[in-house]
Amino acid sequence: MVNLICEVAKYLSLLFMVLYTVKCFVIMSSKDQDENSSNLNKQIVYVFLIHFFNFLILYLRLGQMKILVFYGVQIFVAIFYMIVFHSIYKDSSRLLTNNMAFLLLIGYIILTRLNFSLAVKQFLFATIGLFITSFIPLVIVKWKKLKDMGTVYGIVGIVFLMTVFVPGLGFSNFGSRNWIRIGSLSLQPMEFVKILFVFFVASMLVKANTIKELFINALISAGFMGVLVIEKDLGAAVIFYITYVFLVYVATSRIIFLIGGVSLGVGAVSAAYLLFKDSLFAHVMVRVEAWRDPFAHIDTGGYQVSQSLFAIGTGGYAGSGLTLGKAGSIPVSESDFIFSAICEEMGVIFGLCLILVIVSIFISFVNVAMKCRRPFYKYVAFGFATIYIIQSLLNLGGVTKFIPSTGVTLPLISYGVSSVISTLIIFTIVQGVSIINNKEAAKYEKEKARAITLAADRGGRIPAQRKREGKKQ
Amino acid sequence: MQLTEEEEFLLKEKERAKNNRIKNKPIIVITYLMVFIFMLLFGYIIYFMQFKAESIIANSRNIRQDSFADVVERGDIITSDGEVIATSSTNEDGVTTRSYPHGNMFAHLVGYDSYGKAGLELSGNFYMLRSHINIFERIYRQLSEEKNRGDNLITTVNYKLQSAAYNALGVCNGAVVVMEPDSGRILVMVSKPDYDPNNIDGVWEYLKTEEGSESTILLNRATQGRYAPGSTFKVITLLEYIRENPRDYLDYSYECTGNEIFSGVDIHCIGGSVHGTESLKDSLANSCNASFAKIGSTLDYKSYRETAEQLLFNSELPFDGEYVKSSFVINEDSTPDQIPQTAIGQGDTKISPLHNAMIASAIANGGVLMKPYLIQAIENDDGATIKKFSSKSYGELMTSDEADILIDNMKAVADYGSASRYFSGCSYDVAGKTGTAEYDDDGNCNSWFIGFSNPDDPDIVISVIVEDYQIYGVSGAWVAKQIFDAYYQ
Repeated sequence: MVNLICEVAKYLSLLFMVLYTVKCFVIMSSKDQDENSSNLNKQIVYVFLIHFFNFLILYLRLGQMKILVFYGVQIFVAIFYMIVFHSIYKDSSRLLTNNMAFLLLIGYIILTRLNFSLAVKQFLFATIGLFITSFIPLVIVKWKKLKDMGTVYGIVGIVFLMTVFVPGLGFSNFGSRNWIRIGSLSLQPMEFVKILFVFFVASMLVKANTIKELFINALISAGFMGVLVIEKDLGAAVIFYITYVFLVYVATSRIIFLIGGVSLGVGAVSAAYLLFKDSLFAHVMVRVEAWRDPFAHIDTGGYQVSQSLFAIGTGGYAGSGLTLGKAGSIPVSESDFIFSAICEEMGVIFGLCLILVIVSIFISFVNVAMKCRRPFYKYVAFGFATIYIIQSLLNLGGVTKFIPSTGVTLPLISYGVSSVISTLIIFTIVQGVSIINNKEAAKYEKEKARAITLAADRGGRIPAQRKREGKKQ
Repeated sequence: MQLTEEEEFLLKEKERAKNNRIKNKPIIVITYLMVFIFMLLFGYIIYFMQFKAESIIANSRNIRQDSFADVVERGDIITSDGEVIATSSTNEDGVTTRSYPHGNMFAHLVGYDSYGKAGLELSGNFYMLRSHINIFERIYRQLSEEKNRGDNLITTVNYKLQSAAYNALGVCNGAVVVMEPDSGRILVMVSKPDYDPNNIDGVWEYLKTEEGSESTILLNRATQGRYAPGSTFKVITLLEYIRENPRDYLDYSYECTGNEIFSGVDIHCIGGSVHGTESLKDSLANSCNASFAKIGSTLDYKSYRETAEQLLFNSELPFDGEYVKSSFVINEDSTPDQIPQTAIGQGDTKISPLHNAMIASAIANGGVLMKPYLIQAIENDDGATIKKFSSKSYGELMTSDEADILIDNMKAVADYGSASRYFSGCSYDVAGKTGTAEYDDDGNCNSWFIGFSNPDDPDIVISVIVEDYQIYGVSGAWVAKQIFDAYYQ
């Protein structure tokens, strides 16, 4: 009987996952307010159903009371957050909070399956993060000086990034020296510095009008990446670099910066690879080899990717069912390789939908950036869209052997205190920009209406008409 | 004309909207780019699931395979002619037991399903733990919490030929490999001494005893036995001689007086034979040691090694399963006194029966080696084919002209040479090479035969080693004849 219920719950979870994914795109492509509101409500229902079915499976299979309690607390926090957040920020985007809740809850499901105490820890820090970051939109909307502090972002960012080299504070993990330890808490400064970096680049680009200024900006940005390379955190270096290139392209509207930037990046990576493949980048070499043929290097560098592919392939489209697979045997399955664990036990269809949801989140970030009329906030929103999608690509591509693995987390799903809090910050900053957009749009509509009525009252013409007539004369 | 404040606002808004559109163009470009890359990733994962996953997860390092055993009853192993050689039965408590109806005969081939697995039970593990029975039965069984019937593995091995080979070896230790030269299908794989896979627990207990610790019964001699190739290696020495003397090898002549000293090494012919004046073909037919030591002394070491390595000595073999690499030690720095023994297949050269079968197979197939394989298909419990394994070419080990010359010379072995007493008067033609490989200085020796029937369009290739010929008098050629007879019966 338990088998039957769990099987049915698995397929229902897949069904609602597909429905949720469809809604993400429906909501973005529709302009009808009422329809969207009803779709957003449906989305929340789907999230809670997916969450419910999976926790039902976990409870039936593991039979632990604490799972039920944990489930209840998660639901409470999710509902409480959404109600409070939307009543404080009336103009906020519900799609963004829905997706945030979705990613966090999916993460809790698979983490509960893999390691209950880590799941609880993740939940605690995420909840603290939700509380703290709920003030961020306020700061974004109210604090006008935000765009003038480029130098501060740059200095604080680089200094914070370098704390990993402070003896006693910084330490290495998985071959990269990119961690610091404060008390019993381990953090990755890079996760927070990437936010400062986006602010830094956005703020500098708003002011930079000459090639010289662009060049100085580029030098400081290169400083960030230089530190990351020395830390051997190549995944982060790639994220920073691509974000920088994309932002410069957006600020200048010149395609040459995109093509040049990408070529330069590829060139630099190839040159560094050829020059230092036996010394500085020996660990990169191992990863590239492991990517080409993980099974030939299964006892060395290819172990993680081999295990990941075994997991995804064996789980199949529908998945083995939670707890029935061997997701625990994938190395770092609770963090970098969490997508493989999801695919194995919840199904590749679930994983594919997750990829589509991630793309939809990226597009919704981009939409915020496109609507934004103030360059600084536009760059900030687009910078975060880039960080989000590139990090997801490095993670998803790495664990599926699409690209060499670089060891970055899957935002809001992977376990990791720094990662989860920094992603919450990113989401709420974009939320803040979205609120600015909505306020401005409302103001604009009002002003426009007023201008038209005033002009009509005076028997005058609206400017567009006058301009046309002016040309005729 | 003065613009009003409101009009100014609207104009400014228009301007900002225009700027915004310009700024948004790069954003749209990048968004399309990223969406495109993610579509590639999406497609790649589907491609992986459709075309790659099955073969990747069959990797024996995938620990998930064993968890299938909880829900699937391991499938049968069936020979190409329909004999079940491994099967499962599940009792009411859901405990599955494995049994092997033909016991010892297929011991090393099927291997065992416990103690770390071996043989087909290892290499085909994944397939037998998958169930492709129809969906309704699967759901029914899932609901009633019964195990599904796993897929059956159809091996290329032929029951009739396997039993002929098994019986022909009789009490002797040794190994037989039979394969189809034009497909690479392995028809026979026998190794003795053997064990009863039904009693693997007992075997394991025995191996733990003092007497058993010396035992090699679990060793599959067909693939893991390292034997001196003896006179079967003369085929390779001959090939090298032809390569070095492409125009005048037919002019070769040697006066055999029964023995001769080469670089201080005394080489004498078996049983004190004196072969007299011999051509190259006669030398092979008579398996004349002195003549081949003479040939060896003319060879270029480097080129000799290249030829041996082209025939897969010192390298991995294209075979999915446990095997040992063969070794050939002559190189540029070798001294002349190493050559005479090497040329006649003694010395430090070592080969497995499987590898010798592969060399004979390449000769029979015009120089092209077909990759030997043991699993021909996977069928579900209703007999529907789930997966077919096709033959694959490994590559050319020698030119077809060279292969033709070797076949011509090897025919002489069966027509009037060392194997003629077995094959004269048979209903079929044979090309081959016998071998007697001494493994110590007391005259203890193993008897080899490699060869194939119907040399014009070879049917089957046989490689046989029989240990301790001096005791039992069972020769490799005689065992091969029993198998050929069974095949053409």
